[in-house]
Amino acid sequence: MTATPPAVGPTLSVRDLHLAIAGRRRDTPILRGVSLDIAPGEVHGLVGESGAGKTMIGKAVLGIQPSRARIAAGSVLFDGRDITHLPERERRRLMGRGMGLIPQDPMTSLNPAHRIGAQIADVLRLHLGLDRAAAGARTLELLNEVHIRAPERVVRQYPHELSGGMRQRVSIAIAFACRPKLIVADEPTTALDVTVQRQVLALIKRMQAQEDASILFVTHDLGVVAKICDRVTVLHGGRVLETGATRRIVEAPGHDYTRALIAATPRHDRPGGLLRPVPEALTARLDAEALAYDAARGSHG
Amino acid sequence: MAEPALLEAAGLRLSLPDYSRKPPFGPAPPVDILHGIDLALAPGDTLGVVGESGSGKTSLGRTLVRLYKPTAGRLTFDGRDIADLPENRLRPLRPQFQMIFQDPQSSLNPRRRVADIVAQPLRLYGRAATGSEARRQVDALLERVALRPAHGDRYPHELSGGERQRVGIARAIALQPRLVVADEIVSGLDMSSQAQILALLHELRRDLGLALVFISHDLSVVRTVCDRVVVMLNGRAVEQGDCAAIFASPRHPYTRRLLNAIPLPDVDPGWVARTAENELGEKLTMNVRDSVALVTGANRGVGAAFVRALLERGATKVYAGMRSTDGYETPDGRVRPLALDVTDHGRIAEAAAECGDVTLLVNNAGANRNRPISDDDAQRNARDEMDVNYFGTMEMCRRFGPVLDANGGGAIVNMLSILSRVNLPMIGTYCASKAASLSLTQGVRAQLAAQGTLVVAVMPGAINTRMGDMNPPPLEEPADVASAALDAVEAGEEDIYPGTVAAGVSQGLAADAKAVEKQFAAYLPG
Repeated sequence: MTATPPAVGPTLSVRDLHLAIAGRRRDTPILRGVSLDIAPGEVHGLVGESGAGKTMIGKAVLGIQPSRARIAAGSVLFDGRDITHLPERERRRLMGRGMGLIPQDPMTSLNPAHRIGAQIADVLRLHLGLDRAAAGARTLELLNEVHIRAPERVVRQYPHELSGGMRQRVSIAIAFACRPKLIVADEPTTALDVTVQRQVLALIKRMQAQEDASILFVTHDLGVVAKICDRVTVLHGGRVLETGATRRIVEAPGHDYTRALIAATPRHDRPGGLLRPVPEALTARLDAEALAYDAARGSHG
Repeated sequence: MAEPALLEAAGLRLSLPDYSRKPPFGPAPPVDILHGIDLALAPGDTLGVVGESGSGKTSLGRTLVRLYKPTAGRLTFDGRDIADLPENRLRPLRPQFQMIFQDPQSSLNPRRRVADIVAQPLRLYGRAATGSEARRQVDALLERVALRPAHGDRYPHELSGGERQRVGIARAIALQPRLVVADEIVSGLDMSSQAQILALLHELRRDLGLALVFISHDLSVVRTVCDRVVVMLNGRAVEQGDCAAIFASPRHPYTRRLLNAIPLPDVDPGWVARTAENELGEKLTMNVRDSVALVTGANRGVGAAFVRALLERGATKVYAGMRSTDGYETPDGRVRPLALDVTDHGRIAEAAAECGDVTLLVNNAGANRNRPISDDDAQRNARDEMDVNYFGTMEMCRRFGPVLDANGGGAIVNMLSILSRVNLPMIGTYCASKAASLSLTQGVRAQLAAQGTLVVAVMPGAINTRMGDMNPPPLEEPADVASAALDAVEAGEEDIYPGTVAAGVSQGLAADAKAVEKQFAAYLPG
């Protein structure tokens, strides 16, 4: 099944991934045969409603899915290497230099008891083996790169002393600190004010271009996708409905569901009026398709 | 107004205790949240309230339904002043104005079933005599918000985010209110659930004739829902009016920034690149209220307008700098006249020591000899103008930079001119000095950014003062220019061009600088 990857293969390749949450009586399928490829330097959007499984894909790629989640079939290839069931020790070596994460809520991912500077320097010392002085200097450089105005002051501060936008800048600095090939950004701007969101998006894009990293960008906002993603995958009920270049998906969507999502997105430049929610008949059809898919899979074992 | 307002607020103010600054003994000091809000809402109308976190929009919503008691101002509901009503007299009115809260997770009691939650207002106001009557009404309410009666037996945590928000709506409309304040009720939802909730709101408004105050940070959603909109910034309504008109041509720079920031679902590869370099960093902004300001050239013209505007916006103290304080009449107890000639650098150093509490510096003093470069006295004119406009401003920035740093950052406003960007040969030496001051301002800005000081360059067209009367019309009013400059301080705008002439010239310069230069050259010294 696994072909040898070509010379410049995708940075990330998710192949027919099935993931289910183990229950007392039976498992609940979350991902139903998800496949997607992300080329080097590509920003790949993953859109869908809550419960579509988009965050779970990001977690499975990073190997941080909850312990009750079971990967039933399929694989995750990073740079051509199968990392689906990588042991903890090897996984840890992959983080930092290989992959990074920009979380939705930096308040929960930053340690509230440690100063900002120490948290960034720790990453640099652990993954890059820098000494204390070099890590300190690089920390200031990184904070400068994410446009934090007074890095010397910020390194001495604690997370709760910073605004939401500042904290997200710090997360971005940490994610890019070890120049990873792939970054998983999980709704990184959902909790921010619009003006701060624009700054943070610009920052992520700029850092990505500078480092030529790939990004798996999880979001429910088609506006954000249209502005920063090269390609998009539309997800519903753990199934990929369509994948394509952003312009194609936004301007000529191939799936009814994608069209429905676009119709449900409000715009301030158009006269007010009713937005059309995703029609119930469409949701019902998709749910039925998912069940049929489960049944078909179950029948041949 | 054709229709009498259902809800009307005039000069609505709110202060709340600031527990972060509470001394060990005694009460917490008050902090001002709303600074005089005026708005009106007709029956069945929808009013959007937009702004970023900390702008006071939630506090405004809570004050409108009297969850907070306003500190000052008038608040009338159906013609009746409710601003000062005590709770026992407010209670019979409460069914008429209800609130839907942002986070149903925390506003719905997790230990109660949905039916109990929705029935609670019915019981509290004796609208259902028996349990079965209550349940009948609850079922009808659930159906109204497109939930099934079976949902009534569930607990909030068993519902999805969209379903929980429907429960919040059912509870809010249980008593058949005439006004509902909805606070960020779709912000945690994905696009499709959001569209469903908005469609539901629309139906309810149509069927029940509800007036709606819709609070949201998302201008796209507000555009979909509302007829009118109020834009909030730092507890003030900086712009309000018809939604379509404001979104088509926003007047306040803050509204423009909010609109520009929204990513519309159109492919636009340049969008990210157009995020200006200075926008990438966290914006420096400053509240004029409670600031201590120093204005140079404060005895007349724009300087005097600055003093008035600062007092109006609640500055605690204003040092009014002028060459001689003889005959100056202090307009307000908060104004301290200050003898300060900006060409006297020793005196500037003394002033910086005397006025150690300054947080906002307005470099307004300027000199204009009103002569061309070809004038016989051009050398002397240029030196006089440079002395005040350039060297004076520079020394003020140099001396007060450390003062602002010690007081937490603050802001500097440099009064320049659109002539900082283009030369009008009629008054060539003046323009050169203003161009130098702009360059100086940019340097000061870059240097003081690290200490968190906002540096604003104000570049208006000609102003209606003694100094501006040589210039071609139209002339800007000093009060408008001062007001625009203070707006910029509060919104964190670094370069502003008040008035139509200045705005036009700056756009022209961006499009075709040479053409503008030629046009200005036509105003030759006569």
